[in-house]
Amino acid sequence: MNVIETRNLHKHFGELHVLKGIDLTVAEGEVVVIIGPSGSGKSTLLRCLNFLEFPDEGSEVLLDGEPIDPASNNLDKVRERMGMVFQHFYLFPHKNVLNNITIAPENVKGMTRAKAKEIARDLLGKVGLPDKEKAWPSQLSGGQKQRVAIARALAMDPEIMLFDEVTSALDPELVAEVLQVIQDLAAGGMTMVMVTHEMGFAREVADRVIMMDDGMIIEEGEPAAFFANPTEERTKTFLGQVLHA
Amino acid sequence: MLSSLSQVVDMHFFAFLRATGVTLQLTAVSLALAVVIGLAFAFLKLSRNPIANLLANAYIGVVRGTPLIVLLMFLYFGISSIVVLTSFWAGSFALAIHAGAYVAEIFRGTIQSIDHGQHEAARSLGMSRRLSMRLIILPQAFRRAIPPLGNQFIIGLKDSSLVAFLGVSEIYSTAMTAAAANFRPFETYLVAGLYYLVLVLIFTVLVNRLELKLTPDRRAAA
Repeated sequence: MNVIETRNLHKHFGELHVLKGIDLTVAEGEVVVIIGPSGSGKSTLLRCLNFLEFPDEGSEVLLDGEPIDPASNNLDKVRERMGMVFQHFYLFPHKNVLNNITIAPENVKGMTRAKAKEIARDLLGKVGLPDKEKAWPSQLSGGQKQRVAIARALAMDPEIMLFDEVTSALDPELVAEVLQVIQDLAAGGMTMVMVTHEMGFAREVADRVIMMDDGMIIEEGEPAAFFANPTEERTKTFLGQVLHA
Repeated sequence: MLSSLSQVVDMHFFAFLRATGVTLQLTAVSLALAVVIGLAFAFLKLSRNPIANLLANAYIGVVRGTPLIVLLMFLYFGISSIVVLTSFWAGSFALAIHAGAYVAEIFRGTIQSIDHGQHEAARSLGMSRRLSMRLIILPQAFRRAIPPLGNQFIIGLKDSSLVAFLGVSEIYSTAMTAAAANFRPFETYLVAGLYYLVLVLIFTVLVNRLELKLTPDRRAAA
């Protein structure tokens, strides 16, 4: 069963053709990592999956096999089923850690405060921050912020998690703690699509690696083979650049 | 001079005390209305509807482009030819309409200043546009609006003195009457100035407290 599928996904920003016919499938429990040079359309692809960006007319995005039509589907309901974590965290600065996590379950799902708190505390334990529920986002390190952001997305009990370069804004020594949380999630069977520059992580955790360039998927494969023997010249060049950097 | 100053203070103490009450009422009523008007027009200005934009721009443009005293007189004589209003209420409405334009721009600015990522994060959690505005954007925008709003409220407090020309017995009109009676305009206006100064200082302290109260995260970090 595919959780997410795109068919002939195109996206223009004005004249700029950012995505040029992406066909992507993500099976239940699968961890898909998308790599590629900046400007290749990786983040845009991710943002088209939950309709933070609207794909062009004629593109198809399917969730659990059901086509999503922005005109007739309630996109808020669609987004409820997909968690997203951003490069710059975007924690809500006026809410403490606990309320960052409970605000959506309470106000979107109508969950009771007690139930939402219980879930939030459980998730804070899972991301290794059980003692931070009263802290304010401004008091946290980047790695802690990102772990709270992951917990916030998980609190909605999504079917799939989308990670958009979630370690790119972190100090190098804080990357590992965030990747560990994501790795635990993967081990727990969460379906996820992750845009990242962390090649080591991709090799270790991904079920499938996708290389994008110039708005297209140019190569994909199971990580061991993908990194050992890339077939496309552009993939070789890109991997040469990032791995020897 | 000091003794004549204290004489003026003594002589008109109760008149100024009553007048201070009136000034505070004028300020409170007009600024409360101004916040409502300002928020409404901020949304009109942020709206994607061109007619709403036009309406907001017309209102803000006209109010900012005309002196308050002109607006005050125009509205007083304009309104009172249609409905019977006391000069207090006519003055309050005029002050509110005036301050509302500036408050609208304050709210528009602070709403726009919130990182778009905040809205995207809210939407990605399944919040509607409206819910995201209410729970995520507006609370942050309000907090950022407090310093400029405090500024605007101080201006509003002082602007209320112009309502003297509608015959409302607030601080400035009381000073005018007193000075005409005691022939000590210098001391009398000095006293009036001191009343305003003290009110503004008290108000400044209150605004600072409110800001601290509404920003628990900054308080915790400090």
